[in-house]
Amino acid sequence: MRYSELQRKSFLEATARERAIGLTDEGSFTELAGPRDRMMSPHLPILGEAVSFDDGVVTGVGLVGEHPVFVISQEGKFIGGAVGEVHGAKMAGIFRLALTAYDHAAQEHPHDLERYRPAVVVSFETGGVRLHEANAGLLAHAEIMDLIQDTKGKVPVISLIGSKVGCFGGMGFVAAATDVILMSPQGRLGLTGPEVIEQEIGKEEFDASDKSLISRTTGGKHKYIMCDCNELVEDRIGAFRDALCGLLNRPYSSLCRCRRIGSYELVREQMALVRLAAQLNPSDSKDIWRYYGNAEPDLIPEMEVKEFLKTAHRRPREVE
Amino acid sequence: MEMQMIGRGRDAVAMLADEGSFQENHVGNAVMDAEFGPGAVVGTARIGGVAVTMIANDAEAVNPRFPVVYFGVIGMEEAYKMASAVYETIEADREKRPGEKRPLVLVVDTPGNAPGKVEEIFGMNKATGAYQLALAEARKCGHAVVAIVIGRAISGAFLCHGLQADRILALPKEYGTVIHVMPLSSISRITKMDIERLEELSQKSPVFASGVDFFHRLGGVEEIVSAPEKMAEAVSRHIAEIRCHKAKGEFEKTGPWSRGILGAERQGRTARPAVLARMQQEFSQVSGRYLR
Repeated sequence: MRYSELQRKSFLEATARERAIGLTDEGSFTELAGPRDRMMSPHLPILGEAVSFDDGVVTGVGLVGEHPVFVISQEGKFIGGAVGEVHGAKMAGIFRLALTAYDHAAQEHPHDLERYRPAVVVSFETGGVRLHEANAGLLAHAEIMDLIQDTKGKVPVISLIGSKVGCFGGMGFVAAATDVILMSPQGRLGLTGPEVIEQEIGKEEFDASDKSLISRTTGGKHKYIMCDCNELVEDRIGAFRDALCGLLNRPYSSLCRCRRIGSYELVREQMALVRLAAQLNPSDSKDIWRYYGNAEPDLIPEMEVKEFLKTAHRRPREVE
Repeated sequence: MEMQMIGRGRDAVAMLADEGSFQENHVGNAVMDAEFGPGAVVGTARIGGVAVTMIANDAEAVNPRFPVVYFGVIGMEEAYKMASAVYETIEADREKRPGEKRPLVLVVDTPGNAPGKVEEIFGMNKATGAYQLALAEARKCGHAVVAIVIGRAISGAFLCHGLQADRILALPKEYGTVIHVMPLSSISRITKMDIERLEELSQKSPVFASGVDFFHRLGGVEEIVSAPEKMAEAVSRHIAEIRCHKAKGEFEKTGPWSRGILGAERQGRTARPAVLARMQQEFSQVSGRYLR
């Protein structure tokens, strides 16, 4: 597919590889540990499961302007984008390379770091740990959180969420720990997925067959109102790319201010939000949308992105 | 069956601490709100004479505001309370050098992060993520962080409370200790494989089955401590070793990254280092295009 066509393609429909190629500058993406290397899960065949040559994640490096951009793009079509040993190691490897690239940039361009600073971009499409190799997947999550802490003050980490599976399980808090989160309205972000809540607590708590309930609770618009997603974009690869380019043109310090957790000050802000949760005890996200000044919450789910962005009232941030 | 510690986070804190030294809700220079996050126990104690911040789960507490929080579940309040205890610890020792800062001891017995609609509306993912980042920051600025699994260390809750430590210790399975993502019965249901077959396969591969021994083979647990009365000595010993590494600036000799290396040494995770090496090698061939 031509690059210009790729830009117009739905992010939701796109494969992980199309997203990785389309997010970076034309012709700049090089895949690392790609399918030709056949770094496959050694564990799936033991359980009689099919393998994938890329273990369900595309990893590589591209450019956005002068910025080396290290990309992780998860493929939901392979075991729901779940993280096993190889998949997790590929993710960790990208963070390690980005940190090395930062050291290089800091040495070569100490006065022009804003221009040459590397970034990590993660296109999430996953439910978290892959059960077939659950223990290794779990340990990989801990490594990735550790590496995210290593990036603080050095490399911006940007989450893109707009693919079919969404971003759940352990990867839900990995995304929360990154600097900036971009979502489309179709994006889904959470910790415990709807089916798991229904299974553990019951259908009266969460009806996992109710698509609009899932969207209101975990979708891009809700997360935007809550300031848990920083920017809401339309469902096109090009729209995500434009937002990404916009971010990388901003000073690094302004990206750090997009964080929701990662300091005592931010934790205190979240604690105030938890007190509000206890006080309001909302039965539906619409209650909290109304609380923040959206007088007609019923209209929000159907709104076009442009109109929504013009009219939506968001949670006022306490930490600037 | 040996004496179990499951559900006895407070007893474990008392067993680890020098007699009578645990001061609940006193962390660093702060006194924490005792009402907030009742499922989490935080405070200061001495272990072998060393002042430490302790963070544990209380399986008997219920959170009156968040009904899914009971039996040691970590809810939003609990996770932020735990994160606050870490930040207060960092704050109190800001002027001290790495290796001299006060250690954090995590007593692990938790079945999960709180699942619920309100939790998802307000973002439980942030709460558990916040605590992990706080622990990682503490570790990287020179605090020794030791986790000891005395009961349940289940999936995301173990990631939240435990897996960011410098070293992870666990009581053996004879004490009822459980470390896993899901029980084999659930894996059997989802993968549609016989449980007997899975049990047989788990003898060959430690990557999916439940068990402290499997995590040990994968490098996810550094040491299995033979009995509860030996916990305090083991924690003290690991604290001393970690402090030694940090004083020398050896920050990758402990923590999640070092457990990856340990996993390869113990033959539990051998694909991981091959992937990392391949990526480095491939990037070095093209790095000129990207690094200017």
